[in-house]
Amino acid sequence: MKTESPFLRKINKVGTVLYPLLFGVLIFALLQTGTLQKLMGVDEFVLPRPLNIGTIISGSLPKVMLNVKATLIASLGGLTLGSLFGYLIAVIATVFPKWGAGGLSIVAAFNAIPIVALAPVITNWTKDVSSNAEVRSMVAKIIVVMLMCTATMSINAYRGLTELKPFSKDLLESYAARKVIIFTKLRLPNSLPYVFTALRVSVPLSVISALVSEYFAEFIIGVGRQIRENIVLAQYATAWAYITVACLIGVTLYALLILLESILLRHRS
Amino acid sequence: MKTLKKLRSSDKLVTLVWVVGLIIIWELCAFQVEAVKRTPENVLPHIWQIIVSIFNTKPISSGRTAVQIVLTSAGSTLLRAGYGFLIGMAVGFALALFMKLSGLIEKIVFPYLMLIQMIPILGMAPIVLAITHDIGTSRVVIAAILTFYPVSTNTLAGFKAVEKEKLDLMYLCAASKTQVYIKTLIPSAIPYFFTGLKISAPMAITASILVDTLQGDGGLGCMLSQSLKHAMSIYVFWQIVFLSAIVGVLSTWLMGVIEKRISPQKRFRKQEEV
Repeated sequence: MKTESPFLRKINKVGTVLYPLLFGVLIFALLQTGTLQKLMGVDEFVLPRPLNIGTIISGSLPKVMLNVKATLIASLGGLTLGSLFGYLIAVIATVFPKWGAGGLSIVAAFNAIPIVALAPVITNWTKDVSSNAEVRSMVAKIIVVMLMCTATMSINAYRGLTELKPFSKDLLESYAARKVIIFTKLRLPNSLPYVFTALRVSVPLSVISALVSEYFAEFIIGVGRQIRENIVLAQYATAWAYITVACLIGVTLYALLILLESILLRHRS
Repeated sequence: MKTLKKLRSSDKLVTLVWVVGLIIIWELCAFQVEAVKRTPENVLPHIWQIIVSIFNTKPISSGRTAVQIVLTSAGSTLLRAGYGFLIGMAVGFALALFMKLSGLIEKIVFPYLMLIQMIPILGMAPIVLAITHDIGTSRVVIAAILTFYPVSTNTLAGFKAVEKEKLDLMYLCAASKTQVYIKTLIPSAIPYFFTGLKISAPMAITASILVDTLQGDGGLGCMLSQSLKHAMSIYVFWQIVFLSAIVGVLSTWLMGVIEKRISPQKRFRKQEEV
């Protein structure tokens, strides 16, 4: 490998931020001037200019926030429950390896079930939960998100709980440590990075699942549902506004996760 | 006796017990629902009722039986999902290759690749439909987008995970750049490439079904919503739910099978076992 001078390295580092930024600005400019729309042969009515979308969001902020709140409750609620449930399954699978691991492969198979098949079924099943349509749709959405997040967490957490450093378990056993001690002192800390690996997958997944389950929900609320409703009404600019909001939710949650990870795992590596 | 013992300890039995257990739970719930509800088939029918409905020859809509409807719509949906999957696969692999070849492209594209993972593409399905004006094209496009980024990021990770010693060896052998790629980099990235495919295969199918629900064009998703609105027998809905679940699981499994066929390391290991 050739050695680089500090100056060159600095230029390189600036480049990693600068190039993508320039690319982003270019796309933004092309969209704003309507050039990209022309190149793609798309109407500006269907693909509006970015600043117009911004105006729409700021113009109807209270309504947007109401929908954001509904989506956030569904995705974060489902994410929390699903991750806890998934971790619990992983713990059970670790305690009973033979039958647990088999069960885990079933859970993994659940992961491949399309959410579009799941959402209407769950909506059907939760009809009796409450007489209030808003409450029961929310319950249905949370359950769908939860089911989608469970598999990711259980598979990763199981790996974290079982793939220990060589001989570390033997060492603890040679100290005559009880199984509980091995669990709390070795397995639990070992699984933490794996938990974050799972969360990196399931945080975006939870947002997507929340949006899609809103499509099938009874009660008309949420960012995903607004995208669809506005398309049906041919209000594409408003739909784009909600798409932008959905992207912002996804990116913000992911950024928060990375922040949390860097704080919690700062003593590692 | 020995075979019985072998059978008892095998993983297949464990899986089988789990599946049977789940079916029993389903059936118990179905009996409960049957006792309480007026229309139990809307909430939770018995599994045998769904199976009977598959073999029911009574036409339910425009002279076709339930199973005919489900299978024809599954054909059109899965075909488009397949097209999108193949396109996404090719684009994803090519992009990973370009990113490996050129640092500049990697620097420009990689942040956006990360960003696209956090963007709910499925939420954009309606707008893609509005742009392309054609339900078939939008199915392909969405499936391709959903396929391309897991494939691309995983393959790139595969290119980067190649041991330095291997590259050094190739350098010592005075291998040309093309040879390094064909003999070292691409083969070692294959397992990662398949990890990406395993993630994206069910996603492509999900995407295709979801796009169906947006417009009536006889896809699985379209029939699903029709059946939910009681425009036709509710069993069509249950058949589609089970079919899509099975196809989703099978698609991941299929990728694993193809991987075993293709990748030299795994084939070798298998020979050793035998």
